[in-house]
Amino acid sequence: MGFPLLSLIVFLPAVGAGVLMFLRNDDAVRWTALGVTVLDFALCIAMLAGFDTTTHAMQFTETRPWVPALGITYALGIDGISALFVFLTALFGWICVLASWVAIDRKVKEFMVSLLVMQALMLGVFCALDLFLFYVFWEAMLIPMYMIIGVWGGDGRVYAALKFFLYTLAGSLLFLVGVIVLYFHGGRTFDILALTAHDLPFQVQSWLFFAFLIAFAVKVPMVPVHTWLPDAHVQAPTAGSIILAAVLLKMGAYGFLRFSLPMLPAASVYYAPLMLVLSALAIIYGGLLALAQDDLKKLVAYSSISHMGFVTLGIFALNLRGLEGAILQMFNHGVTTGALFLFVGLIYERTHTRSIADYGGLMQAAPVYTAFLALFTLSSMALPGTNSFVGELLVLSGAFAANPAVGAAAVVGALLGAAYLLGMYGKVALGPARLGAGFKIRDVNARELAAILPLAVLVLWVGLYPKPFLGIIDASVKHVLTQVHSKGGGQ
Amino acid sequence: MTATALVQSALASLPEIVVIAGACILLILGQVARKGQGHFVVWASIAVVLIAALATAMLAGEVRPAYAGMFIADRFAVFFKAVFYLATVLTFLLSPRYAEIEEIGISEYYVLLLFALSGMMIMASATDLLSIYVGLELTVLCTYVLTGFLRQQRRSNEAALKYVILGSVSTGIFLYGVSLVYGLTGTTQLDGMAAAVTGNPLDPGLLLAVVFIVAGLVFKVGAVPFHMWVPDAYEGAPTTITAFMSVAPKAAGFAVILRVFLNPLVAASDAWIIVAVIAVVTMALGSFVALVQDNFKRLLAYSSIAHAGFALFGVVAGGADGIASVMLYLLIYTFMNLGIFGIVIMMRNGDFSGEVINDYAGFARSHRGLALLTLLYLFSLAGLPPTAGFFAKFYVLVALVERGFVVLAVIAVLLSAVAAYFYIRIVMVIYMREPERAFDPALTPSVRATLAVTAAGTIGIGLFPAWFLRLAQGSVFGG
Repeated sequence: MGFPLLSLIVFLPAVGAGVLMFLRNDDAVRWTALGVTVLDFALCIAMLAGFDTTTHAMQFTETRPWVPALGITYALGIDGISALFVFLTALFGWICVLASWVAIDRKVKEFMVSLLVMQALMLGVFCALDLFLFYVFWEAMLIPMYMIIGVWGGDGRVYAALKFFLYTLAGSLLFLVGVIVLYFHGGRTFDILALTAHDLPFQVQSWLFFAFLIAFAVKVPMVPVHTWLPDAHVQAPTAGSIILAAVLLKMGAYGFLRFSLPMLPAASVYYAPLMLVLSALAIIYGGLLALAQDDLKKLVAYSSISHMGFVTLGIFALNLRGLEGAILQMFNHGVTTGALFLFVGLIYERTHTRSIADYGGLMQAAPVYTAFLALFTLSSMALPGTNSFVGELLVLSGAFAANPAVGAAAVVGALLGAAYLLGMYGKVALGPARLGAGFKIRDVNARELAAILPLAVLVLWVGLYPKPFLGIIDASVKHVLTQVHSKGGGQ
Repeated sequence: MTATALVQSALASLPEIVVIAGACILLILGQVARKGQGHFVVWASIAVVLIAALATAMLAGEVRPAYAGMFIADRFAVFFKAVFYLATVLTFLLSPRYAEIEEIGISEYYVLLLFALSGMMIMASATDLLSIYVGLELTVLCTYVLTGFLRQQRRSNEAALKYVILGSVSTGIFLYGVSLVYGLTGTTQLDGMAAAVTGNPLDPGLLLAVVFIVAGLVFKVGAVPFHMWVPDAYEGAPTTITAFMSVAPKAAGFAVILRVFLNPLVAASDAWIIVAVIAVVTMALGSFVALVQDNFKRLLAYSSIAHAGFALFGVVAGGADGIASVMLYLLIYTFMNLGIFGIVIMMRNGDFSGEVINDYAGFARSHRGLALLTLLYLFSLAGLPPTAGFFAKFYVLVALVERGFVVLAVIAVLLSAVAAYFYIRIVMVIYMREPERAFDPALTPSVRATLAVTAAGTIGIGLFPAWFLRLAQGSVFGG
């Protein structure tokens, strides 16, 4: 075993959190948190530089016995799919620190500790190669996220935090039982790769599929278990919303990719039509709800439900274009919606209102802000040249290949997206200023620009030249597809 | 009994002898000591427990049956005795300052705890229904008295009275079951029963006896339908005694349940169905009723009912993993529950009772470290990783699924989601509300030590469960 790079990436933020505990000065806390997250990001870039895109095998693997009596190991490793999300998580690590720089003005230390612990756990989820380890990371995330929403959130934060907590806990606990059942049927091991190689009878797969579905659907979130999301998003502080949108919502879809598809191929193929219908429902329903919102944050939150519908649609199209599109779209949604929440946070810090009706004419007051907002709005509605266009196109072509009716419904959802996003942008940025006569707000400053720019670059990079990103995931996606179709029947 | 057999028996029960002799000596010394010099009793009591622990450790190597099959010193008993020692020593450490505040600073308090400890040790080692009975009564008689130790408080008296009356009834029921077993099988020894039972699997009389014995034991662990005393006794008793009762005698009750049910009778009857029903109902009742509690001690009482229900699922699972899962659960529960009780006890200072949950509003503002500890214990009780509470639940679920009780596992996790709510509610009060008053916890060095030990256990077993798991698995009798 070589250098434990992944352990370092996963636990560096946690160690950083430990260091923060001893600091007394708020500014020192902020700078240390930034330093730790930037360093973590740098390690992550180093990891990507050494990443071999030609193979689907797990890389940078580390294995140590943990609880040998139960076949539990401490095993980390990444393939192309995880690599992309490790990158995304590390990227948003320091963006979240920057986004909370002034927005969080009380209990700064506790906040940054929660943020760093959260980051360590999220990275752990994407790197874990042992189901038990995965579950520990997955479930422990509830604690810092509950604190972030509940302590630093808006007026209804306590209710929102509790709802978030109980929804995800109930879902995850069923997943836990599923994991244990899988453990006994899969030869008493929690090793994800070994379990993937194991063939299960269809009936067992069916039960497990639904046990997993409940946990993953809550996290995605899919309609009808999505109701915690708007509450959590609206009440969470900016950094909390960004984490939710950029990384946390990806966990469910990641679960489908890592567990449901390869471990339960027959059930995945069998229940794919159901999943497609649910996805189309989420796309349209989320879009309609977003159309009806006046609160900026709620609008973006509901648009997330719609966008994540595209992700599950692509996954359960069970073909190469659909799956690659879904993963790219997960990444894109992280970048774009994370950025949109950042923008909502920035404007809220300045005006203390999130009602779209209160705004207007921001273009004169804050030209740089509105220009970037335009870019991310266009990306969110998947205009050609932006990242989401590539992802959405792949998903749609995959969906049409799998089921034309569902594909057509998804197109309607995409149109809805254009309607509410353009409507929002028009009311906020264009037209005469409405926020009182002396409406003046500060444009973005250098610190904020530092958080925005990398995201803007990613939007255009993926939009204009997606090849490197698709290259990272390509081998792994093909491998997942082979696993599904060789063992699960289907196309 | 020959002299050699007597020596052998005395050797096997050396830890019990140490504790009982120590308690008797301290009883006398406590009376002789002048007022204001009572503190030595605490340290002397701790010393007695440590000597007993040393004796236990030295005897741990082999299985020693003693007293003509009434008693056995095996690794199963050693494990439970270790839990009792831990719980007792931590209770001693939590007590001095609290006893001072509540004005119960007399030596009998510690002596009674030592006698209760000896009773529990006998329960863990008993292999005969009669020696079980002796241990059981020795334990509860002491806890009856300790529950009523706040003599000036009406609710303490009331709690003790309720506890005594219901406890006597349950003892009667238990004895009736024992007499039925004796009538049907001609023996009260567990091994003898097992032999008698195998030839005649479906004797309805025996099933009835099982029901009575279950009822008697279920009372001791506070499971439904014999849980009614728990909230009142827990609320009325001095908090240190509540802390003690919630872990040690409960563990002793489980030790007996495991020995009785998983050794001889389970092959003969469908007793596990009864236990399964009890487990589900207990957990449901504990979890749902705890939702509406405003008093911290009462909430913890219902929480302990719910936890007893979860541990009973391990009994239902049976087999080596089932037994080991219950044992590990009890060990972990000792750490996390004494931890949270340590917080409640520490809060009792001046006119502040520390019992109303809303009084904890904004605790995190003034005492970051203590609030974080409280958070740790609460999340562990709720069963979230990476704390020990998660591993405790996880292993019980593994045992359940191993035996094919997937439906029970699903019920167990759904009920723990309900239970999570009330622990999280306390976290919410501590972290998300504005403080209404200044906090002045009675934080003595010995309380600090307790909190440190329990925190280390709660986090340590969560992160490195392997050694403890092997310990529990190695301590399962016959496996």
